[in-house]
Amino acid sequence: MRYLKTSEAAALLNVSPNTLRAWERRFGFPKPQRSPGKHRLFTHGEVAALRDALQEGLSISSAISRAREGLAADANSLVGALASYDRERADAAIEAALALRSVERSVEEVLLPTLDEISRRYTVESAAWAFAAHWATDWLRRAIRLTPPPVRQVSIVVGDASRDELDRDAPYIRALELFCVRAGIKVLSLSARGVAGIGDAANVHRPNLVVVAGGHLDDDTVARWAYAIRLAVGAMPLAIYRRGAERPRTRVTGTAVLPSGAGDAHRTLLDLLESDHVATTPSASAAAAGAHVQLRSASRSSP
Amino acid sequence: MLDRHSTDARPSLRLVAPAELEPAVPSVAFCSHCGTRPSTPTEHTAPGSRVCGECGLGLILEAAEDIAPRAGDAFLVLDRVLSVCAVSRGAERLLSTTEPVAVNRHVTELLMPAAAEEKRGESLSVAVAWAARGDGGTRTTTVRPANTFGIRLTARIAGCGPPRAALLVLE
Repeated sequence: MRYLKTSEAAALLNVSPNTLRAWERRFGFPKPQRSPGKHRLFTHGEVAALRDALQEGLSISSAISRAREGLAADANSLVGALASYDRERADAAIEAALALRSVERSVEEVLLPTLDEISRRYTVESAAWAFAAHWATDWLRRAIRLTPPPVRQVSIVVGDASRDELDRDAPYIRALELFCVRAGIKVLSLSARGVAGIGDAANVHRPNLVVVAGGHLDDDTVARWAYAIRLAVGAMPLAIYRRGAERPRTRVTGTAVLPSGAGDAHRTLLDLLESDHVATTPSASAAAAGAHVQLRSASRSSP
Repeated sequence: MLDRHSTDARPSLRLVAPAELEPAVPSVAFCSHCGTRPSTPTEHTAPGSRVCGECGLGLILEAAEDIAPRAGDAFLVLDRVLSVCAVSRGAERLLSTTEPVAVNRHVTELLMPAAAEEKRGESLSVAVAWAARGDGGTRTTTVRPANTFGIRLTARIAGCGPPRAALLVLE
């Protein structure tokens, strides 16, 4: 993946850096990532696609629309490959997406929308979904394995409350894990069913935050799991992800509801980890004490 | 009745003297968003770039001088299937929309023909299709903002580009 700084991207498009930033504000495209120093990093593929579209465009909007359509073709080809049970074509489609985007954006803009489309088109009971979900989980796990070791002194424990890999939430949970691992966070992912020995695992891992992800397991099971961790390592902040409580809620005791999108959830999680809330445990202890109640109330309020 | 053997009655090509042609209207460049006219093609733009150096939000197009908009004018650029390709800043204000929202929508989501009682008015869709096809001349019709009654606007329609498209200037 080749990245361009603002000045490089502007030079490629033959515009000023200010114009490029104006396009980002007005059109949301090209959409840069941020370097560790918070500088904009544009993917070469997006900038090149926009440059080509500008040659034939009647306005910046129509050129951006055309460039976006070209990039969306990757998702269409992945849907086609998975719907025809062609693993090689699916691998090639995601590789093509990766040539134009970062891993995070490939997952957010191609892989997860593809799975949503397949589940919508064929339902989660279908063979097409079974094939697609298995392929996606396999790909995400492989991407996690290939990520360099964590560099931050931050770790999280993910309590997986999804049914299995055919659960619609499962790819989103794997995607969140991938994003966290790629951000240098140590991630321990365990099924929220397994309470026995969870204390030992938590003692070894020493998490800064616990994420309960998935909506299949009932509240009592999840609460027992969270309580076992609390007994082992003490109180800590808790976040819930894709447990059916996506609407905005007022945080009163520290239990955060992460957005349903993997990228948004990852960014919210980073904010939580970097906030003083995590570092200072007094308020966190109140959070964990209310974890059981929060989980129950959040799930009860879900549709 | 035509005499089939007469050479005068047969169709034939005839050289037209330059004096008989309509005087060519010079074309001018303008920004597809702010309407600014750079006096030279590269005055406001970087060499080789079509992006307006004035606002940075439009591309430099060309149209006949008699219809080309000026800075602040309300105008749309449409393709031959009547999809919106560009919305000027003036048209955004006039039609209460934004270009990113309006682009790729059908023109009738923004403007409706209102020429029913206009005897000389031309069909909006025909005028746009002819202009986008490259047919010369300027056509005039009457339109109103979609979902708004009681307001009538005169629309002048002619070709512009590149690439070839229709320019609809609202007055």
